[in-house]
Amino acid sequence: MSNAIVFNIQGYSIHDGPGIRTTVFLKGCPLRCQWCQNPESQTSQCEALLHAELCEGCEGCVEPCPRGAREVVGRAMSVAEVFAELAKESLFYAHSGGGVTLSGGEPLFSPAFAAELLARCKQAGWHTALDTCGYASWHSVCQVLEHVDLVLFDLKHMDSRQHFAGTGMPNERILENARRICHELRVPMWARIPVIPGYNDSTDNMTATARFIAEELSPSLPVYLHPYHRFGEGKWEQFRRPAAHRRFDPPGESHLHGIRRLFESRGLNVFRGGEERE
Amino acid sequence: MSDFSSEALRIDGDPAGDHRESVDTAPSLSPRIRRLLAALRVDRYPLCIEKLKIVLASQHATRNEPQILRRAKCLESVLDRMPVFIESGELIVGQGASRPMGLELDADYGIWSPEEIESLKASGFDITPEDESTLAALYRHHAPRTLTAAIGAIAGESERLWPFLRSGVVLPPWKDKTEGPGGGYAQSGLGLGPGFYLMCVDIPRVLNRGLNGLIAEAEEERRCLSFLEPHAADKAVYLESVILTYRALIRFADRHAALADAIAAETSDPARREELRLIARSCRRVPAEPAGSFVEALQAFWFLFLVLNPSPTAAAGRFDQYMVPFYERDLATGKIDETGAIEWLACLRIKDMQLNRVSGKANRQKNAGLAKWHNWTLGGVTADGRDATNALTYLLLDCAKLTRLPHHTLTLRVHEGTPEELLVKALEVVQTGLGLPAFVGDRSYIEYFRSNGVPVERARDYVVTGCLDANLPGSSRTCAIGMFVVPLVLEMFLHDGIDRRTGLRVGPPAGNLETCEDFPAFLAAFKQHLRHFMALAAEKNNLELSVSRELFPDPLRSSLMDDGLRCGKDVLARTMPFENGAVLNPVGMINVADSLAAIRRLVYDERSIRLSDLISALDANWVGHENLRARCLACPKFGNGDDYVDQLARDLYAFWADTTTEFPTALGGTHKPTAISITSHQPGGALTGATPDGRRAGDLCADGTLSPMQGADRNGPARALASALNIDQDPYQATLLNLKLHPSALSTPADLRKAALLIRTYLTHGGKHLQFNVVDRATLVDAQAHPDRHHDLTVRVAGYSAYFVHLGKVMQDEIIARTEHRAC
Repeated sequence: MSNAIVFNIQGYSIHDGPGIRTTVFLKGCPLRCQWCQNPESQTSQCEALLHAELCEGCEGCVEPCPRGAREVVGRAMSVAEVFAELAKESLFYAHSGGGVTLSGGEPLFSPAFAAELLARCKQAGWHTALDTCGYASWHSVCQVLEHVDLVLFDLKHMDSRQHFAGTGMPNERILENARRICHELRVPMWARIPVIPGYNDSTDNMTATARFIAEELSPSLPVYLHPYHRFGEGKWEQFRRPAAHRRFDPPGESHLHGIRRLFESRGLNVFRGGEERE
Repeated sequence: MSDFSSEALRIDGDPAGDHRESVDTAPSLSPRIRRLLAALRVDRYPLCIEKLKIVLASQHATRNEPQILRRAKCLESVLDRMPVFIESGELIVGQGASRPMGLELDADYGIWSPEEIESLKASGFDITPEDESTLAALYRHHAPRTLTAAIGAIAGESERLWPFLRSGVVLPPWKDKTEGPGGGYAQSGLGLGPGFYLMCVDIPRVLNRGLNGLIAEAEEERRCLSFLEPHAADKAVYLESVILTYRALIRFADRHAALADAIAAETSDPARREELRLIARSCRRVPAEPAGSFVEALQAFWFLFLVLNPSPTAAAGRFDQYMVPFYERDLATGKIDETGAIEWLACLRIKDMQLNRVSGKANRQKNAGLAKWHNWTLGGVTADGRDATNALTYLLLDCAKLTRLPHHTLTLRVHEGTPEELLVKALEVVQTGLGLPAFVGDRSYIEYFRSNGVPVERARDYVVTGCLDANLPGSSRTCAIGMFVVPLVLEMFLHDGIDRRTGLRVGPPAGNLETCEDFPAFLAAFKQHLRHFMALAAEKNNLELSVSRELFPDPLRSSLMDDGLRCGKDVLARTMPFENGAVLNPVGMINVADSLAAIRRLVYDERSIRLSDLISALDANWVGHENLRARCLACPKFGNGDDYVDQLARDLYAFWADTTTEFPTALGGTHKPTAISITSHQPGGALTGATPDGRRAGDLCADGTLSPMQGADRNGPARALASALNIDQDPYQATLLNLKLHPSALSTPADLRKAALLIRTYLTHGGKHLQFNVVDRATLVDAQAHPDRHHDLTVRVAGYSAYFVHLGKVMQDEIIARTEHRAC
């Protein structure tokens, strides 16, 4: 049975797919997004982070820190262990049309684990969703998506050089995977677009994104706009990796509204992250 | 990939999405309601002694008469002599005190010493200097026999009970044999109490038959009396008392009719004049005759409710069910429309806001924030099991949302067939941060009655009384409810049965606990110890019932029970078909489950610490033992779906339920288990030293009874609910679970539908109760720092909503600390 490093299991997850869900966050990601909200998810190993505001320099870290200032992020878990955790809320999936969302990090970075876990969830009758950046081998995509009811697919930038600059990887493979998931695997998909002011929110890029979705994927694909927020900023300090992080400003309401209109003018259904189709 | 939540949307203000349209079409406040709402905002509440003067004079004049007749005559004097007034713009009339927003000092439930009065003045209550000196003089001349003094006279002589009362295991701890915990009650309402009974009389009987109809029935009973029967003489006095009370209530309504006409004659505004004439017509007709319209039914209800008060626990029962025939009839004939009905229902909420209540210092902690539980039960199923939702169910929710008033409380009964639309509407009210309504599950509540032998058709008619306890309208009542602090018993158990605060022995010697071989032996010894204390609490309950029966016979409530006239007996002199006269109610059980889990893990499983070392650390309040405390905190905690501790909680609650029913009550029948804590987890925690769950001495206990310890649930609300479903709630008359949600978890219509699914799933799978607080942390912190800016900030405390700024700092801190579940 496969193992993976899990960094969070989030219950009552209501914005990551239909119904009441639990989202499992795996560590390890091929991208290094400058705005990442979960920097602790990037590496594939467990690591210790420091809640500096709690640390009193007591040097007691060898013992469990009595103030809780040290926290190890990530825990190696087997499929069975994760499944047992998920099962604790299964009553609520069953009565809400909900289920499990696998997120990260990048779950396709651990394809064997992801496939095995999602297969068990499907077997239990739960709805399964995969939250992915799309950067993975086609083999991994096929292996995992066989057990997935819904893909939440991130589109960050349509210009490959810009994509590389912001995330450390080009976008060709991502866009190709999106096309093939839609047309070959035909798994239902939501497009998720992080709106990062100064990075991907230009009219040009948003127009290109809308065109890609409407013309190359499907005009009926729901589009979710996820405005950048600053709740993750503190985590960069805790990991003492502030250098890799770029600060952005959250987008304003009227700007978001404009982006929304832009997508709608292409006939797309647009929602904000957190909203859901009526 | 990133985990973007929708959080940022609310930084820039409300999203401009089209899903917000419904707000624009919502009804708005009429100028009348705005004016009446403004009049509710007072900085200080007047304490009045008008009623006390009337009651004491009546008690003196009737001192040689039977007690039940004295009580009737007392109420008659109050109804005949209290000043009546009608405020500008009011549609429903009848005041609960001699001054607007006033509270009348009660005669029967304790003495208001000068020290207690000073403390009240410091807490935002006013009393005129003249009244203050009159009060002292009244007490010099009349020493009313109070409930506490009567209990103290008996319990004070018991070697078992006195140390127990002093300990505060049943809150609050007694200081003095005649004054008990100290102070009495000051409340609005024209009846005589009793204060804390959980019951709902047969209200529709008064609306549908009128008091004249009931008087005729009582007179017929009197005519048929044969003094060959053993209790006939008592019955004769009882019936006389009932008739006297009904007639007084009719005269009270007539006084309002006359007043309304008098004001109308002097009013220049023709519209208001017409309203006053309508008020006069209603008051001449009801409650004497059957209500002929929705408006008359509301006025009749209010007169009755005013006399069922003062009572912090007066229940309106299934208001939407018994009121809807009046509403539908008037709607069909065009007498009223939806807007009109909302206006009247808003007036009713405002009337209830005018009823206030305050108690002595010791009791104020237990029920913070001018607590009252005037509970309106909505929804649920009909006697034949169909969905009972109707137009009024929705209108009552609309009205709460519109007025944003914390009282009266609404409780929505939820079952499989509750319309989603209704749940979403209820959640829109929750979304305002009002903390209303509470959601209760028909399945487990009905099962409670069924398993106690109540026919299912009858059980389906249950109502919520007080905070969350179920009762059958007109046929059951709970009259002794002690708040039992379980962690304090654990502390005494770990200290050989000695109360560390008083130095008195309360429990039996526990012996050397180090000799317990394994955890099951330790747990068995603790349960034995707990049983001893539960028996003492049951004894205290029985004493309270016996004394209440002697001192406070109540012709009004008694006559409005099933068979209330024919039986000829006071409600405390009867054994009801379903008997739940006294309950045992554990506070802090979750802390005990968490504590036992820590002991089990560290002392017995890991054997990494000796029990005596743990006790030393507790005695030192963890000072010098911070690492041990961290290890205790890291042990499994209830609310995370962890069987290690959840099974202990399940076992403890099952033990409590089974053991409770072993103890007989003074009313016949046995004690019943219930599990509400109101705000007792604060004073309960204050009395209790450090506990093995990592809690420090004096800190709060877990709130509610199935809520996890504040901050201990780390896996979201669904997991907390899954833990609670592990506990068999059916044997309990009530349970209480608070969830604090961040506004982001309840902001879009889709969020509301998901929350509705969460509620329905919990409540149709064995859950009894669920309520939400939806206020973000920043708002609460700001309100604590600047109370003047947040007068209307309402939060759900425990079975009732309160203005946040009226809560003490400790309760405020706790509300802030309750785990806030964000949407992810």
